[in-house]
Amino acid sequence: MKRASSVFICAALLSCAAVHAQDASQLSTLEQIAQKRTAEWEAVAKDMNERMARILPCDPRALAAVTEVSRASEARLGALADYLRAVSARAFAETANVRNLLDAEEKRAVEADLERADASQEQTAVNTQSEDLAQSARQRTSLEVPQKLLADIAAMIHQRTAATEQQAGSADAAVALLRALVEKFEARDAALREEFAASEAERTRWNGYYAARRSRAQMECTITQIGARSQGKQ
Amino acid sequence: MRHSRLLRMGLLICCATGLIGQTGRDAYRQAYNIWQQAQANLERDAGTGGDPQVAQADRAAAAVGSFEATRVAYLKSAAAEAIERRKILKAPATRSSPDLMPPSVGNLATVELQTVTRAIARFATDKDPAIQQLRQSMERERVALAALMDTIQARQKTVAATSAAAVALEQARAKTSAAFDDQSSQLSQTVAQMEKEGAAWAQYYDKLAGAIQIPNATAPEPAPPVSTAPSVLTEAPRNESISPVPLVRYVGEWNYPVANGIFHGAQPESVDLEVHENNGHAGGTLKMRFKPSPGVKDPTLQFTFKGDIAATPTQKFTLMTSDGTPGSIELIPGPAFNLLEVNFQTDPRANKIRGGNFILLKK
Repeated sequence: MKRASSVFICAALLSCAAVHAQDASQLSTLEQIAQKRTAEWEAVAKDMNERMARILPCDPRALAAVTEVSRASEARLGALADYLRAVSARAFAETANVRNLLDAEEKRAVEADLERADASQEQTAVNTQSEDLAQSARQRTSLEVPQKLLADIAAMIHQRTAATEQQAGSADAAVALLRALVEKFEARDAALREEFAASEAERTRWNGYYAARRSRAQMECTITQIGARSQGKQ
Repeated sequence: MRHSRLLRMGLLICCATGLIGQTGRDAYRQAYNIWQQAQANLERDAGTGGDPQVAQADRAAAAVGSFEATRVAYLKSAAAEAIERRKILKAPATRSSPDLMPPSVGNLATVELQTVTRAIARFATDKDPAIQQLRQSMERERVALAALMDTIQARQKTVAATSAAAVALEQARAKTSAAFDDQSSQLSQTVAQMEKEGAAWAQYYDKLAGAIQIPNATAPEPAPPVSTAPSVLTEAPRNESISPVPLVRYVGEWNYPVANGIFHGAQPESVDLEVHENNGHAGGTLKMRFKPSPGVKDPTLQFTFKGDIAATPTQKFTLMTSDGTPGSIELIPGPAFNLLEVNFQTDPRANKIRGGNFILLKK
């Protein structure tokens, strides 16, 4: 299982760049091919033993029947492997993109934190300006109009400071969600690797079974010929 | 002015590409520091100040305009980049199809296993050596099928695990995408808020400069000036501008950007504009050098202009070139506080530049 898995990873990585641009329709095509091959295999595999029961043991059609089903099985599992390889390559590319997004969003969260600090600094500065202007307005009443405007600006900055505070908090929360999402992507990829390895193991076992079935057909022929020779001698 | 719209469109593109200023945080922090230096102690001195504080208010207005424009550009750029890179969260994640693991696969193997097991049982007591060989062959087949059944079940489990992982991933993706959508929305609101603040600061400094020049009966007597210059409080008060936009949008020193300047018609190489205002009257000088063009032997042009400030955003003045040719000039505030569009025309002269239209940056 491990070997199949590592071969699969190498193959997936090698084909990653080529398959990166593979769109959903291409995946859909591969899936349809795999479904078609599965249907074709099922059609010949389900009554293989019944058909063989009606054929004499040494009739070449007996071995041919097993070979036909075995080939259909290999075609099915080969198409399945192609499909899973393409799915995985696409999935790995997605995961790489989301990891890059996480890097970018972590930086953006740091910037949001700095913007919060900037807004806070502006708030302090405008408060100082307001206090100074209030003092000056006592000396010069004409300053009351700009004083009112400055108060409005201070209120706007206060509102924005609160908003940036909230944004910095939500940026951190979003990054935490994204980090968890990357883990989910990685879990999906791991599951796909396991699925691919399992399909390869199944492929090996089906081939082993059909080899054994062929071997039995040959054995049936052999013992039939031995029986015929024995009867001939008597 | 038929080319104004073209110029403005070009200008917006330039803003987007960072022509006007860098869009990084460092750039707006630098602009912020310049503003803070420009406005240092302005409010404290406003009660007793005069012309120096009026000039300082104008400098502060220009600096805050530059700061707000730089920061808004930075935030817009950051927001646009964020939206672009977060697009990957909009698409459902790839998953494998569970349809490729139909139950019939397991059923088929099960039937084969049962059949061969029954056959083995039928020959269990047969002592015939040939039959025993056949039975052994069937036994190998049964072992292969049993092993196959194990792998089929294992694969069924992995398919189920992949499906479960895909469902969990999809839920997390939708939740994360929604969280980032909220963030983008908040950022857009902040940008809108900052644009309002930019306009408010310009209005504030304009009113502040005006208020500083209004003498106050209750104001304390200023100390006698050391020089013979008249006290600022005894000077004629600054007229309230009738222009719908602050005077700082026109007044000051401007030049043509070294790179990626916006123009229509003759291409400027360098432009220096100085605009001053006094009691509703404006004037200034414009010195230009244009890039060589057919039919123009003298690429330089210099003129002075003057006129009254009008109650319209576009200010139109008469001009007189250094060699006595008359003409007219329009000053149009740009979309950012540190931008000014200039459009001028002179009477026709042989081998000379007759007109120009370009955007200047405030020094």
